[in-house]
Amino acid sequence: MAKALSLHNGVYLIIALALIIFPFVTESRTWTILLTQIFIFAILAMSYDLLLGYTGIVSFGHAMFFGIGAYSTGIFLKSFEPTLLYFILSIACGMVLAAIVSFFVGILTLRLKSHYFAMLTLALSGLFLVAAEKWRTLTYGNDGFTFRAPEIFQDRLVFYLVALGCLLASFVFLKRFVSSPMGRVLISLRENESRTASLGFKTLHYKVIASVAAGVIASLAGSLYAISLRFVNTSVMTMDITLDALLMTIIGGVGTLIGPILGAGVIELAQHYLSGLARENPIFERWIILFGILYILAVIFFPRGIAGGIQSLYLKLRGKKVGVHRSLKKRVVKS
Amino acid sequence: MELLINIFVNGLATGMLIFLLAAGLTLIFGLMDVLNFAHGGLFVWGAFAAVWTYTATDSFMLAILGALLTGVVLGFVTEKLIIAPVYGNHVQQILITLGFMLVLTEMIKVVFGPNQLAAGVPSYLAGSFEIGDVILIKYRLFIIVTGFVVFALIQFILKRTKIGLIVRAGVLNKDMVQALGIHIKKVFLYTFIAGAALAAFGGALMAPYSGVVYAEMGLEFGILAFIVVVIGGMGSLPGSLFAAILVGLAGSFMAYYVPDLSLAVNMILMAIVLIFRPQGLFAARG
Amino acid sequence: MANLLEMRNVHTYIGEYHILQGVDFTASAGQVSVLLGRNGAGKTTTLKTIMGLHPAKSGTILFEGKPIEKLSTHKIARSGLGYVPEDQGIFSTLTVEENIRVAMRDQSDATAKRINYVLELFPDLKKFWKKNGGNLSGGQKQMLSMARAFIQDSRLLLIDEPSKGLAPVVIGKVIEAIHELKKQSTIVLVEQNFRMASKVGDTFTLIDDGRTVHTGEMGYLIENEEMKRKYLGIG
Ligand SMILES: Nc1ncnc2c1ncn2[C@@H]1O[C@H](COP(=O)(O)OP(=O)(O)OP(=O)(O)O)[C@@H](O)[C@H]1O
Ligand SMILES: [Mg+2]
Repeated sequence: MAKALSLHNGVYLIIALALIIFPFVTESRTWTILLTQIFIFAILAMSYDLLLGYTGIVSFGHAMFFGIGAYSTGIFLKSFEPTLLYFILSIACGMVLAAIVSFFVGILTLRLKSHYFAMLTLALSGLFLVAAEKWRTLTYGNDGFTFRAPEIFQDRLVFYLVALGCLLASFVFLKRFVSSPMGRVLISLRENESRTASLGFKTLHYKVIASVAAGVIASLAGSLYAISLRFVNTSVMTMDITLDALLMTIIGGVGTLIGPILGAGVIELAQHYLSGLARENPIFERWIILFGILYILAVIFFPRGIAGGIQSLYLKLRGKKVGVHRSLKKRVVKS
Repeated sequence: MELLINIFVNGLATGMLIFLLAAGLTLIFGLMDVLNFAHGGLFVWGAFAAVWTYTATDSFMLAILGALLTGVVLGFVTEKLIIAPVYGNHVQQILITLGFMLVLTEMIKVVFGPNQLAAGVPSYLAGSFEIGDVILIKYRLFIIVTGFVVFALIQFILKRTKIGLIVRAGVLNKDMVQALGIHIKKVFLYTFIAGAALAAFGGALMAPYSGVVYAEMGLEFGILAFIVVVIGGMGSLPGSLFAAILVGLAGSFMAYYVPDLSLAVNMILMAIVLIFRPQGLFAARG
Repeated sequence: MANLLEMRNVHTYIGEYHILQGVDFTASAGQVSVLLGRNGAGKTTTLKTIMGLHPAKSGTILFEGKPIEKLSTHKIARSGLGYVPEDQGIFSTLTVEENIRVAMRDQSDATAKRINYVLELFPDLKKFWKKNGGNLSGGQKQMLSMARAFIQDSRLLLIDEPSKGLAPVVIGKVIEAIHELKKQSTIVLVEQNFRMASKVGDTFTLIDDGRTVHTGEMGYLIENEEMKRKYLGIG
């Protein structure tokens, strides 16, 4: 067990190192920007996975927290000075705001059943979107506003490393979070809420903590996103952002953390290439159909997405004995 | 006065269009316990099918038939491929139907092109009645009347026919219906197809009302229909009618008097209902 | 005597719980076979397994010699089984008439005759013909549920604890009704009320912890104090 674990960590470490070295060995500006984008959305998707994969709740309002982060950073850097200090302060401010909002939203919504929860989160994030549209003195509504990023981010490489650092930090934080006793309660909640409740756990309490953690991380992603564009408008609060996170999480693999990262990579890359191809043949503009179908297949047939697929392939290669034994055990318990 | 009546008629017409969508949604939930977030996709397919047929044949009747046919076919395919694998699992239903919604929306652009299409009102429904100072637009009245007729028709089917009886029994206790020898899966399929056809019909009526159709209106109206169903009480048909009219009227009055809030009013209504009475205003069960 | 229904080594899971762990049971044509066992023994689950509501994971269930364990519920019902569940399964916002109508498979004279028959057997149903099922008394619900199963021309009726929550006078009526229905159909009865079980039952099958532990003539159980104490907690 311990050996397998360190093997895992070793693989992660190698990948992380490769990503750190990557921009120093290539000159490609496109790749640097593309990877940065992937890192940002990977952070968002991971935070969504904490809700969907580890707590078993479908939120339609995750964009709300992404938007809070994006607006905090945008407004800070525009109103004050575009320095690193204000950048860090803006992230902190976004996170605190997101924590407060997600706390109250969680208290209001998490006692409801799945679909009512989904609809109430949709309503609340819808209200945030309207607020962002109407509070024009602060947000400039749908037109949005541009702002200057701190000097140091003029170098795309620096921002790449910052985004990567945030991704790694979020990953480690979330990994710890889900493997803590607290995370185990969440998982058992997902498996069987009433049983967990009957064991004496205050389920609402745990769900609220998860939603605060998810909200805070999503806000971080939003802050980085704003910097990457040097522009914010209401699109950061729209359902599209939530749908992106959902797509990435499901295709990459729900409940795995590494899955959402893979999902973000696959979708961003494909989007990049397919929209390039679209210049030759407009059918490629409809790339979302492909992902929609993949997503549907994933929900029905591969509930653990790419990451789950890789994992079971790995287990198979490791020798049939273990694999057969495990699947048998599962079948007996489940059916 | 004249203004009030206009706002009222407008709101009522919008409400009735939403009702056509919400009716299928709420029946499907009530009977099958299925959350169908792709419902708006069926609506927009109905709208495009109608506009396309109308442009090709110049017949409003054929346009509506085309929409209904599209609804039936899509409803059949959706139930078999998308819904059947996820019976009994709400989270999976939300996820998969949402994904299918995306696919349906994009497929519209593949089949009908990425641009919005203009939709015309047939000549016999164009124009307006003038009663004193009040001008009543014919097409809006047509929608309102149609909405009430559809409501009455569904109520008639539910209350007076055997299949309606089975549907009402199925809403209360599916196991017992099966134990009495009824193939409930088949009833599910029929109900789903009927709901899809209603949604497509709503789309067909929507097109001349709004003047244009575009792919994204599926998601917009789908969400609106869900809001209505939640407010009215999931599974309750009268609840959906009431809530649809409420949402329609609130929208049109707000748009005139407090335009800043008109976008938010539905969300606020739904949030209030969910926080204080999550089962909806007319609870269908329990 | 012909075995109308025969269950052999049936196992059933509910979710991840292994509830029936080997149930053997037979019901002979024309008899009342009683399933006995303490609370939670698996009696209701046995009936639901027969009806396909909790399908058997393994084992065989034969009805009139044909396997039914793989069929879906509506097909099982149509092959000639009627089910009267523990909670009676009345459609509460449907009237008595509508409850009956859901169960009607056709408009034939035979069905009409059966309906007349049950309405004579349970005059209360006729009296409250337009009343909502949910507003009936416990005993009336029981009667409606039995009537509903009976009019389908079922050759086997599965009745789950018809005496539950009923006053002794009403139980008397239910016993009468079962004696009457027995003339037309074979009956499987789950019953906790041992007095009632012994009055109407021809044979018994004892279930404990999801397993058949004993089966025999009712007379044998009536005499056997130890068995009653051990498995039913009475005597
Ligand atoms: N839906 C379910 N999920 C999990 N366990 C269940 C479920 N339904 C029944 N059980 C369990 O299966 C066992 C058998 O239940 P069953 O209802 O068949 O008992 P019974 O013999 O009819 O009892 P009673 O006399 O109380 O009606 C019980 O231990 C019960 O807790
Ligand atoms: Mg029981």
